[in-house]
Amino acid sequence: MSQPVRAGRVGQVPALLGAAGLVAVAVALELAPRLGLVPAEFMPPTSTILAELARQLQRPEFWVALRDTLVTWGIGLGIAVAAGTVAGVVIGTVPGLRAATSSTIEFLRPIPSVALIPLAVLLYGARIQSTLMLVIYASFWQMLVQVLHGVVDVDPVARDTARSYRLGLFARIRYLVWPTALPYVVTGVRLAATVALILTITGELIIGTPGLGKEIAVASESNAVPPMYALVLVTGLLGVTANLAFRAAERRVLAWHPAIRVEAAAAL
Amino acid sequence: MRRQLAALLFAAALLTPAACGTTNQPSAPPPAGQPDKVNVGVIAILDVAPIYLGKQKGFFASRNIDLTLTTAQGGAVIVPGVQGGQFQFGFSNVISLLLAQSQNLPLKIVCNGNNSTGVDGQDFGSLMVKGDSPITSAKELEGKKVAINTLRNIAETVVRASVKKAGGDASKVQFVEMPFPNMAAALQSGQVDAAFPVEPFQTAIRDAGGKSIASSWVDAAPNLTVAAYFTSTQTMETRKDLVDRFTAAMKESLAYADSHPDEARQIITTYTQITAAQVAKLTLPKWPAEINRDSLQKLAELAMADGLLKAQPDLNALLPSA
Repeated sequence: MSQPVRAGRVGQVPALLGAAGLVAVAVALELAPRLGLVPAEFMPPTSTILAELARQLQRPEFWVALRDTLVTWGIGLGIAVAAGTVAGVVIGTVPGLRAATSSTIEFLRPIPSVALIPLAVLLYGARIQSTLMLVIYASFWQMLVQVLHGVVDVDPVARDTARSYRLGLFARIRYLVWPTALPYVVTGVRLAATVALILTITGELIIGTPGLGKEIAVASESNAVPPMYALVLVTGLLGVTANLAFRAAERRVLAWHPAIRVEAAAAL
Repeated sequence: MRRQLAALLFAAALLTPAACGTTNQPSAPPPAGQPDKVNVGVIAILDVAPIYLGKQKGFFASRNIDLTLTTAQGGAVIVPGVQGGQFQFGFSNVISLLLAQSQNLPLKIVCNGNNSTGVDGQDFGSLMVKGDSPITSAKELEGKKVAINTLRNIAETVVRASVKKAGGDASKVQFVEMPFPNMAAALQSGQVDAAFPVEPFQTAIRDAGGKSIASSWVDAAPNLTVAAYFTSTQTMETRKDLVDRFTAAMKESLAYADSHPDEARQIITTYTQITAAQVAKLTLPKWPAEINRDSLQKLAELAMADGLLKAQPDLNALLPSA
């Protein structure tokens, strides 16, 4: 069981390089306004933004907004993942259904979710449902397409074996399709999570449903430039955290999978 | 069209679970002894300070109204919200309401919102140029680019009024739509020649060396009513008692805010991100309790002359009966 430890030690070098990159960007953004390369009233230095962030963390409104954003994001992502997975497995396994729906899917998928904002506002006003509609619409396709790819990826020999053993529909989904599709599902969830966060903030920013996006809009309308950047920074941190968390979950859920095992072996 | 329809059907199918449980009904009377729950759609700007102050002072609670204030991103969200029943009342500029009325949207103004100070050179919004601009009067904006927050709305009407008043041809001004926060940078970089910011951006541009060349609210009409609180005609008809109580509370709030500017400034720091130091420097709007009907008549005439309104709006139908 020494593998994870060793992998962790080797992983420290890229992590350090990544942190160094962040520090370099922070220093560049600190110096640019101080040297007068960009006007400080529109692009405050990093230290001002961080000081403002500390102040924001003490406002109860900030925590309420953070909670609202997380709730919208979570509900939207949950519905999209569940709907996308079920739809993907059904479309992928029922004969003929894939051919019948593929043109429709290719038709609907490229519609930018934000184009639905006027419709969402008419249906739900400035309520959370408006933003949820955008979030679900955008992240559902990420999920569906991944699951569809996963379902068709079933090894022909395994499929024939399952047929020889006369596995029923449920057993085939459970023991054949699901393990094959799982890596795709997990990747789909990670991609959908990022898209869902983008659309959550977009909806809050443009429609004004409660959350960090709305706080950013209010700060902007108040000409409060440092608070605006501080809140933008928080949304960025949310995205990074989510991505790291989903990558960690991916390694855990797929510990048995050859792709992950190969990575671990290579790290030795 | 098919694509939109399909998207709509798809989105609707997806959202059926989420849609359940949200009723878009106008407020029904509460059970006996309970206060009316009222949700008002407002914008997080200086103009709505009185309603926040009135809530804090208990002017609504004393009239059996449990007031919730929801900030939204402008009339595009508030008007459908009021029609759909999410909001019982909303806040909007009066040109948007005149336009809505000309499209026969069933809306009714219940109370004044905020007015121009009426003082030339000391209003809460003005036509501005950057410090070293050669432009000194609105007449010189012919052929120039002017940034306003929304095209074909109140800012365009009043800026045109300034150009006309200075003896210029307003049809030769090139309007550019731009959010208020972007105006300072656009003026500085020469992307636009002039802009029409309101507070807090007017003060920010002035602090950066910008100059006001005209007070467009003042040029449009004396003591112009800029915005108002409105409701749907359905709420007006079915909940007349509630509308009356809301209007009375609102009038008390307006009068209080107008006579206690320091408290109004303080409350602004609670629902915006404007700091106490910044708010002290801003020019506040006026908050008279009564709508300036003559100014709306004048504004409607200007909007008709500009072709923004196609027909004479029926002010009697839009405004509360005196």
